[in-house]
Amino acid sequence: MAEKFIEKELKVLNEYGIHARPAALLVKAAGKYSCDIYLEKDGNKVSCKSIMGLMTIEGFPGSIMKVTTCGQDAQEAMDEIEELFISKFGED
Amino acid sequence: MSISVKTLWDEGADKLQLSIIAGEQYLDRKLPETTMNRPGLALTGFFQYFANQRLQIFGLAEFTYLKSLPQEEKLKRMVDLFEQQIPGVVITRNRKPTKEMLELAERYKVPVFRTPLVTMHFINECTVILEKLTAPQERVQGTCMELMGIGLLLRGDPGIGKSETALSLIERGYSLVSDDVTEVRRTSQGKLLCWANEVTRYHMEIRGLGIIHVPSLFGVAAIRRQTELDLVINLTQPTGNEDRTGVNPETVEFMGIQVPSITLPVRSGRDMANIVEVAALNQKLKELGHDAAKELDDKIISRLTRGRVRHG
Repeated sequence: MAEKFIEKELKVLNEYGIHARPAALLVKAAGKYSCDIYLEKDGNKVSCKSIMGLMTIEGFPGSIMKVTTCGQDAQEAMDEIEELFISKFGED
Repeated sequence: MSISVKTLWDEGADKLQLSIIAGEQYLDRKLPETTMNRPGLALTGFFQYFANQRLQIFGLAEFTYLKSLPQEEKLKRMVDLFEQQIPGVVITRNRKPTKEMLELAERYKVPVFRTPLVTMHFINECTVILEKLTAPQERVQGTCMELMGIGLLLRGDPGIGKSETALSLIERGYSLVSDDVTEVRRTSQGKLLCWANEVTRYHMEIRGLGIIHVPSLFGVAAIRRQTELDLVINLTQPTGNEDRTGVNPETVEFMGIQVPSITLPVRSGRDMANIVEVAALNQKLKELGHDAAKELDDKIISRLTRGRVRHG
């Protein structure tokens, strides 16, 4: 199967931004897929499979994250990550 | 890399004890050459070679010289200087700026600062700050540790055991610099300096435990603010293709600087901390000019060729 590369801009919609709990959800979701998943903001790029990385990216409420997935299961991974952003990480 | 005068003001105002006395609205001016110049020679009227792209420092020498000039001459020389589109002026030793200096600053849109520091101290401090501001910097994925003065960066895929290895190293008495996210800066001496992001500094994530605060659990000896990078260790799944002798050392590049690197296969039950510790010690030995793999190889070659070929 061919390698796939997907890029999307997702907005942080929940009240507190990407704090520990959303970070953990993202890492958990990303960990299920074999593809590379990155979050990027203001030139800082971190792996979506790293809690520490996500906590340093300063995902303020309302900020826009550039999410990239690259690999065989890129589409599935992007769908799940996007769903987490849209559902405000299950908060509010 | 070029910065604006504002960047220097934001980052260095406290340390350099700067206050702004004119041209505050012109802080956005670029500082094309991130260094300083003492405009003494320019004040004498010599402009054939004048570093006009640098921050201009007015110290005791400049003021004393200006004082020795007649009033109209003084004004003319100052106008000549400001016409060179200088990015900014710093007055040291808290000297009072002359009236014409403040007027010229407004007219030519140049910010003027003042500091109580002696010129020499100001230049030293400011050089350090400017270097920090302009040095190339990167954020890399990896856990940084310091072992006996050797700076280590542990890299590898998520879940391979970087943090677990780091934790075992901490238990052996070594220090954590950063977990998983490491900021790296290239210094002017061609070294790589590693430190942690402010937000997550000294925290680690251990699978199954969650987030821990290292100095609270292990004491302040278990942490270090920054370290120079000496060795990169890549933790990988075993491939069967690993280096067995260490005769051909690998390197990895960060911002144009080559750093020795080792690839270590992780198998369950293998004591990674022990191996990483030995790798660091071996690196230290190499830096002292003692390469065990090469020495053994030379010895073997010398024997096989009955002494015809001798290295070292």
